[in-house]
Amino acid sequence: MAPEPALRLRGITKRYGTVVACDGVDLTLERGEIHGLLGENGAGKSTLMRILLGLETQDSGAIDRDGRTVTIAGPRQAAALGISMVHQHFSLVDPLTVWENVELGRSGPVRRAAARAGVLAAAERYGLAIDPDARVGTLSAGQRQRVELLKCLRRDPAVLILDEPTSVLTQAESAELFTVLRRVVAAEHRAVVLISHKLAEITTVTDRVTVMRAGRVVLRRDTAATTEAELAREMVGREVTLGAAVGVLPRAGAGAAPAASAEAALRLRGLTARPGLDDLNLTVRAGEIVGLYGAEGNGQKSLGDILSGLTVPDAGTVEVAGAPVDLRRAGALSAAGLGIVPEDRHHAGVVLDLSVAQNLVMTRLGDVSGRVFVDRRRLRRRARALADEYGITAASLDTPLRHLSGLGCWSPPSPPAASTWAPSRTCTHACAAARTTAWPCC
Amino acid sequence: MTRTGLWPSVAIIAAAVILPSLLIAVTGGSPVAALQALVQGGLGDATAVSQTLLYAAPLLLVAVGACCSARSGAFNIGQEGQVLIGALAGAAAGLRLAVPGPALLLVVLLAAALAAGVWAWLSALMNRLRGVDIAVSTLLMTFLAQQLVAFAVTTPWLLQESRLGDAAALPQSNKLPARTLLASLGDSPGLQLNLGLAVSLGIALLVAVALDRTRWGFRLTMAGLNPAAARHAGVPVAAVSGLALAVSGALAGMAGAVLLASPLSTNRLQPDISINIGWDGLLVALIARNRPLLTIPVAVLFATLRAGGSFLAATGVPSYLVDVVKALLTLAFVAPAVMRRRTVAA
Repeated sequence: MAPEPALRLRGITKRYGTVVACDGVDLTLERGEIHGLLGENGAGKSTLMRILLGLETQDSGAIDRDGRTVTIAGPRQAAALGISMVHQHFSLVDPLTVWENVELGRSGPVRRAAARAGVLAAAERYGLAIDPDARVGTLSAGQRQRVELLKCLRRDPAVLILDEPTSVLTQAESAELFTVLRRVVAAEHRAVVLISHKLAEITTVTDRVTVMRAGRVVLRRDTAATTEAELAREMVGREVTLGAAVGVLPRAGAGAAPAASAEAALRLRGLTARPGLDDLNLTVRAGEIVGLYGAEGNGQKSLGDILSGLTVPDAGTVEVAGAPVDLRRAGALSAAGLGIVPEDRHHAGVVLDLSVAQNLVMTRLGDVSGRVFVDRRRLRRRARALADEYGITAASLDTPLRHLSGLGCWSPPSPPAASTWAPSRTCTHACAAARTTAWPCC
Repeated sequence: MTRTGLWPSVAIIAAAVILPSLLIAVTGGSPVAALQALVQGGLGDATAVSQTLLYAAPLLLVAVGACCSARSGAFNIGQEGQVLIGALAGAAAGLRLAVPGPALLLVVLLAAALAAGVWAWLSALMNRLRGVDIAVSTLLMTFLAQQLVAFAVTTPWLLQESRLGDAAALPQSNKLPARTLLASLGDSPGLQLNLGLAVSLGIALLVAVALDRTRWGFRLTMAGLNPAAARHAGVPVAAVSGLALAVSGALAGMAGAVLLASPLSTNRLQPDISINIGWDGLLVALIARNRPLLTIPVAVLFATLRAGGSFLAATGVPSYLVDVVKALLTLAFVAPAVMRRRTVAA
């Protein structure tokens, strides 16, 4: 008889009000496999993982760990059961050093030398080069990911969950991460759950794959026996053109790009700012997508901050649709029609304690208000229209955003081409309205 | 959410009633008599109610101001000092400016608001220029304000009262002219409704509408809840919260002028004219969870405790027991919110 699976979920169901986040989900996780979990935002992946980590409790269904039925009442218990997660949004403390972050959350006395040695040993074993004394705040996204991973592995988990681990990584960093994961699975016989939107990752890295849609499992297959096209179709629920609709890895010739017009929608002239921007000139014409490519820390952040109106450049001008914009005025860029999708949407894109409706109109408050007063009726109507247009499922638009299931519901199912980078509804809307998108990526 | 938040509140409110009762009993007093005295002194008759409402007016002003700044993310805890600065500016305007007729009252109120508004805004400025924490600087400015007022009322060429004959001048200003005092709005037998209450109620309503219905309020709330997102949405966060801090200070300053011009004081600027209204008003806003309309009943409750507190002494119970009750009440309302936030964060 085959050994008991590391983890077996049976009929997990979770409701938030009238929204069913997970609907009778079965999932079996074997030791020594990388299991891909695929699904759009709001499909229920995050909720399922939150249940596994004890952050939520399922309404019905059972969880077996090595064949024994367990209840997971909280994160501590999940850790005791050997379930550990690398979060999509890093949960590191910036002012602390790497080894301090790795030690954080363990009980007992802190032994500096032993902790540092432990970090070094683990780093060596997994090939994750890192300086244990570096301050986390000074590290790049890729290095932080390493710290986060080390933190999990140091707890010796039997089940390791990675929630969109590559969303902030360069391709080289992603490749490195997957090498480590392979080693973790093959040599140490752990089970790994890889949550991702990127089909290419799922098909190359995982052993088996489970696709979720609207809270249900719609496909369960050995990865070798499936194709990207099938996965994409199951994920969205209809036939899709790869690349264009799901926002997966960009592919040459995906969809017919509309002809770029000659008119410059956005023109940057001689932008200079610290750190990293030195006399940058860039023209983005209407109807085209311009990618900025480069390793992290080469001015992308400065450029993003300037275009978001967060900092004023030392020199240079920004023109939107031919008209120069006064960068010192707050909101001038937004008013000129430039939409920005922030890199970190939870941090900069939404206000969790405001209602769904308020978040939807946030960047375009002028559309729903007069000179002084906000027109509540117009606000609700506009929010309702946007929610319908982008398929936002929330019990009520008056719910604070914080209460939406794992925030998954927040993101649009498939906005044109931008879903990987453009998860915030408000912002995508703004982009759609401005018809021009510029985002720094690495 | 509400269900989980309710029970701790009920438990702590019960504690806020029971603990002081125990304290009284232990020190040999009678809890029942003390409660009777509190109610008698705060609500017992027309005079008591009048006194309560007199206290309610400045409390309310401070509290709605605190709502503005707290909602914008700038946590102002220096209201006590802003009340003093308001009283100082109000006294200076009332005693020195030659504005004819009752218009002088308006000038006194506005001068107080303006001075205290600028005073509070200095903290926003320090924050912007040097990154000084707003809670810390507003608090420390309170001590500066106390020194300023003390200096002003002991310095003859500033605001110290004029010497009459050989009598020594006290550390206080001259009495404000009668036309600057807040009048009573009719005496239905015994019950006095002071103009100050009408002013503060009006301002509370105004602030409630401004915070919940206007673009300014929306942007201010956004800046408070998530400054990064607000900045991305084009809100000049520093300016918005700086203005909110100034408004908060201005309203506290106006409370100072109300204290100065109402029967609560001798209508002279004295070093202790603020009578802790600034601190209490801050607690009122905390309990009302920064909702301006909720501050109205809470301010009345605190005013009742204040008015009743002076009656306590007659029962042999020290009147500062009222402070214990206020502290416990504040905990009762604030602690569950904090605990809930922690669970959400976890």
